[in-house]
Amino acid sequence: MRAPRRWAVALFTFSLLLLLAAPPLAAQTIDEIIKRGKVIVGVNTTTPIFGLAGPDGQPEGYDPDVARLAAKYLGVQVEFVPVTGANRLPFLLTNRVDMVIALFGITPERAQQIWFSIPYATEAAVLVAPASRAVKTVDDLGGLRVGVPRGAMQDLILTPQAAAKKINLMRFDDEATALQALVSGQIDVVGTGLLVNRTLNRNDPGKNYEVKIVLRPLHFGIGIRRGQTELLQWLNTFIYTIKNNGELDAISRKWRQLPLEQLPVF
Amino acid sequence: MDYVFQFGVVWRDFPALLLGAWLTVKLSALAMALGLLVGVASALAAASRWRLVRALARIYVEAIRNTPFLVQVLFVYLGLPSIGLRLRPDHAALLAMVINLGAYSGEIVRAGIKAVPFGQLEAGTALGLSSWQLFRHVVWLPALRAIFPALGSQFILIMLASSVVSVISAEELTAVADTLVARHFRSFEVYLVVTGMYLAMCLAFQAVFAAIDRALFSRWRTV
Repeated sequence: MRAPRRWAVALFTFSLLLLLAAPPLAAQTIDEIIKRGKVIVGVNTTTPIFGLAGPDGQPEGYDPDVARLAAKYLGVQVEFVPVTGANRLPFLLTNRVDMVIALFGITPERAQQIWFSIPYATEAAVLVAPASRAVKTVDDLGGLRVGVPRGAMQDLILTPQAAAKKINLMRFDDEATALQALVSGQIDVVGTGLLVNRTLNRNDPGKNYEVKIVLRPLHFGIGIRRGQTELLQWLNTFIYTIKNNGELDAISRKWRQLPLEQLPVF
Repeated sequence: MDYVFQFGVVWRDFPALLLGAWLTVKLSALAMALGLLVGVASALAAASRWRLVRALARIYVEAIRNTPFLVQVLFVYLGLPSIGLRLRPDHAALLAMVINLGAYSGEIVRAGIKAVPFGQLEAGTALGLSSWQLFRHVVWLPALRAIFPALGSQFILIMLASSVVSVISAEELTAVADTLVARHFRSFEVYLVVTGMYLAMCLAFQAVFAAIDRALFSRWRTV
């Protein structure tokens, strides 16, 4: 009796491994998502307020809440896949996720490869530094170490001027590492969002971090693969609905402590 | 699949990739040289006659070999400032690589020293050699020859591992590649080219190792 049982255990372990190793296969249409009963959403868990890992390890924040709301309206479960600023687009293109809700700033370069829904959130690309650091404009950044999340809007805005203005631009793989570098004194200024200095001041009191420069306002869209017309249409309808029924305003007040601003449409 | 490959953006930014590859080569070559020194020191310490030195060597080797390289990199760059040591990203990366390679090569060197036949050591002692002379004239070359292939593959491993230092904003090859991908989103094209570049660097390093092997040990070949 021993041998068959051992075989069974081996077979069970092997199929478990296969199950774990199999990459999540993203749905191509909205009907596939509904049929599967699960929507796979890429979220960033290194962006305070918009996406962080909660105490139970589950993502929490503005973006995950929008994802949960989308799942609710689709009538399916939500499965989160952590993405970073740099890999969120490859994750989408390689079918690892159905959609990306991760502070995805809408740019024409990105729109060459993926499609964006209409904006569901607004922020600003800003530069944050301790109060003691005298910085008023981008011209004051010469000789300073400015950390940005690689590929984020702050990176895209500062890169063309960095060489001429002698800005020591340092790119980190994610926002959390860039913020940590600021706290450790490894950089002088960090490129981040409007609301992040609140988190910084809570976790590292005494330095009095403040927003020094507002580079430009940003709007975020939900990213999907090109050509998914039906899904795009559904997402735009979904965003229109939650913008007008107060649900998005509730998410905004919960995480940003601000009412929802007027969001542009396209 | 309806993806259209666009290699144009990769070639346009190829100089940036080359610059990144150059930092990878510099970091790796320096880490190999310094890491081997640390490794030899650690192996000698592990064979020390003082128990405290032996214990310290053991702690170093076990602590480094049983923790992830990424954590070591983050610790050097983000952790050490808490005790006042603030390093530039590339210097922090080099330090982490040397510490990491030192522990691994230390174990390899230790194995090489152990592989020297006891009779040779006895012969050396009988000739009245001091322990340093014994190491220098009897142990070092045969040991190095025995471990050279293992050392070479460990060196290649640290070069490949250097790709994770992009996390602390050191602009080596992978960091440049990530930046390009974040800008143009041509991940397949960029990473394919970068894979080829890592392969070329590995082959180049292996050619250098083979040349060193010939130069150092050719007289040992059986006639």
